[in-house]
Amino acid sequence: MTTTQQLVPLRGVKQSPLEELFTSGHRTCQGCESALVMKLMIKAAGPRTIVLGSTGCMYVANTTYYSTPWVVPWMHTQLGSSGSAALGTAAGLKALMRKAKMKDEPINVIAFCGDGGGADMGLSAISAALTHNEYNLLILLYDNESYANTDIQVSGSSPWGANSTFSPPGTLHRIMNRRWKKNTAGMLAAGHPQARYIATGCASYATDMMNKVRKALTIGGPTFMHTLDPCPKGWDYDPMYSHELGVLAVQTGIWVQYEVEDGKITLNGPSKVLARGKKRLPVEEYLKRQGRFAHFTPEDVAYFQSQIDEMWEKWWIPGVVPPGPQDP
Amino acid sequence: MATYAVEVVYRGIFQKSLSRNICRSIVLASRLEGKIGTAFGRYGDSPERNGIPAKYFAVVAGDPVELEEYLAQYEPTEVDVSIVVDDTLCKGVESWAWYGLQPINALTKPDGAVLVTSYQEPEQLKEDIHVKDQPYDLAILKGSKSFSGLWVYKDDHTDVRILGALARICPDMVGLDSYKEAILQQWGDQRKVTSAERAFERVRRSPVEPGEGNPAEPFSFDLPGWEVMEEALVIPGIEPGGGFRGGEGGFEPVRSSVFKKFSTRTMRPVVNFETCTKCTLCWLQCPDSCFDVTPDGLYDANMEACCGCGVCEDVCPVPDCITMVGEEAFSDNDSQHDHWRRDRDDYMGWLRDKIALGKSETRSHGFHHVGQYDEESQTVEVGYDD
Repeated sequence: MTTTQQLVPLRGVKQSPLEELFTSGHRTCQGCESALVMKLMIKAAGPRTIVLGSTGCMYVANTTYYSTPWVVPWMHTQLGSSGSAALGTAAGLKALMRKAKMKDEPINVIAFCGDGGGADMGLSAISAALTHNEYNLLILLYDNESYANTDIQVSGSSPWGANSTFSPPGTLHRIMNRRWKKNTAGMLAAGHPQARYIATGCASYATDMMNKVRKALTIGGPTFMHTLDPCPKGWDYDPMYSHELGVLAVQTGIWVQYEVEDGKITLNGPSKVLARGKKRLPVEEYLKRQGRFAHFTPEDVAYFQSQIDEMWEKWWIPGVVPPGPQDP
Repeated sequence: MATYAVEVVYRGIFQKSLSRNICRSIVLASRLEGKIGTAFGRYGDSPERNGIPAKYFAVVAGDPVELEEYLAQYEPTEVDVSIVVDDTLCKGVESWAWYGLQPINALTKPDGAVLVTSYQEPEQLKEDIHVKDQPYDLAILKGSKSFSGLWVYKDDHTDVRILGALARICPDMVGLDSYKEAILQQWGDQRKVTSAERAFERVRRSPVEPGEGNPAEPFSFDLPGWEVMEEALVIPGIEPGGGFRGGEGGFEPVRSSVFKKFSTRTMRPVVNFETCTKCTLCWLQCPDSCFDVTPDGLYDANMEACCGCGVCEDVCPVPDCITMVGEEAFSDNDSQHDHWRRDRDDYMGWLRDKIALGKSETRSHGFHHVGQYDEESQTVEVGYDD
């Protein structure tokens, strides 16, 4: 394993680097939280970084015809190939450095993918990348819970009951997305015990997120991060509330912040406090603010709540490890 | 008969259903008159982004051959009426896949019309609308911005009021009676017919002479063709930024020179630098990296990069430090921090004036909570204007 960069943890927002390496001039929606994830990700990683982006909003909206908001080198890769691109780039850098064709220095490799590109199509490539321990790379899945770029189709990460172009509520069938959100980070942590770092994050907790990126890039080997990004377009809310909805997702217990470091699972921040017994906010606080849940009846809200309650009360570890068959 | 085309310029996603309703109704009404038409969104605007200006077109022709003939082009290059469903779009539109700022009247035919829903007076709107070298009419239908979200439609009758006004402005395309019939067919709501009738009576129209309007040159640049691109379509990255205004300390990023995003804005943040606690949250949480950091740790929102999402106002822990103010209150994109440094008292007076003028009690940006549109629709008077 080659050496990684040394990136020190930030102790509070005031230590955030001033440099913007993902700057203004991208065509994302007003209040786009995924754009904020990009900004924080590269702020934490620093200038000696190569970013690879699989197809999705953060590719299409950011780098349309002859324009870019990136200061660091960035390359587009196909929808399902964030894992392959990250692995190939890390391997290529290693070979070039070994052959002395470029200066031997640690360069961060980050590949990002959306929930469609990562949790659905690119899962196999990500899985493959996470088994190659000799390469240092980070795959970041920014999850806005739908194929938002192509106008909001259901993905494996869309929550139960959410309105989308593929699941419009009708009079006969009110709930058209009957699938529950995929537990991508937990699944990858369980399946790749050799991967040294897998974490979830949310840009509303900026310092926590940036520190997770830094840890993922410094720990060595392939790593994975999954962020929940409120999406004003697909979730249908006033863009002003992007930050607040991220906070609500965590405080209601719908989104669990955790990291899996060398196999050890730790819940962070508000999720840790909730696990210790602090009362969770009712999920209704989160659901009623979004147009995609506007068709929910009180029974639907109660069902959603019961699933979240079960996750916190019955799972081995909330949001990470579901109950096993030997559990009561 | 002649072929007629209208465009609806709207805020992406927020007004997508509204503009589709308008264009579809025009086509349905034209069929009642034995004509033929089609309605379509502009290809280059898809996928839409919240707030980023987009266009929908409706074309009405006498027979299928005329229609086909007209549609044998990428998109209409001239329209009889440019419909503007948010008056802040009058400052010009920088579309999603378009480069540079396009005047709102760019496609309006000579002697055509620009129809705006607004509470502003014609004189005020003419300060925003760029000059044109041919005459046209400015028609104003009094009304607020109708920002419904995507999944839930706020039915405040703006769609049918536009139809009523169109019947007045461009009666040869489709007449009022056909619109009324088409409205009944679609919604079965007599109240919506009444709203259309009242808009027909109340729309105000005033001529705009050549050369009248905003003389500013809209921001533009040359599109590089494929032959000048580097191998593998490599394009230069953005330069790393440096100190505030090129000096020591603080930070000012270099920004994209080909997409500015300010025409997406319907509100802008105004900052009270006196009460700022330098907590960093507005700067850190801004998805568009629009805040320049001053050497003394204040944050100056760059008005060419700000798209007016309002996250900064929401995360600011100090009451009244950052306030979102309607874009109508401003005529430039100048730095607020420079103004404040130049003359603090003058700046504080300016700040108070702008907040008094343009701070609205309610946000116009779509969905806030379940039941909100029902509550708001109940307060809507049929065919309301002033």
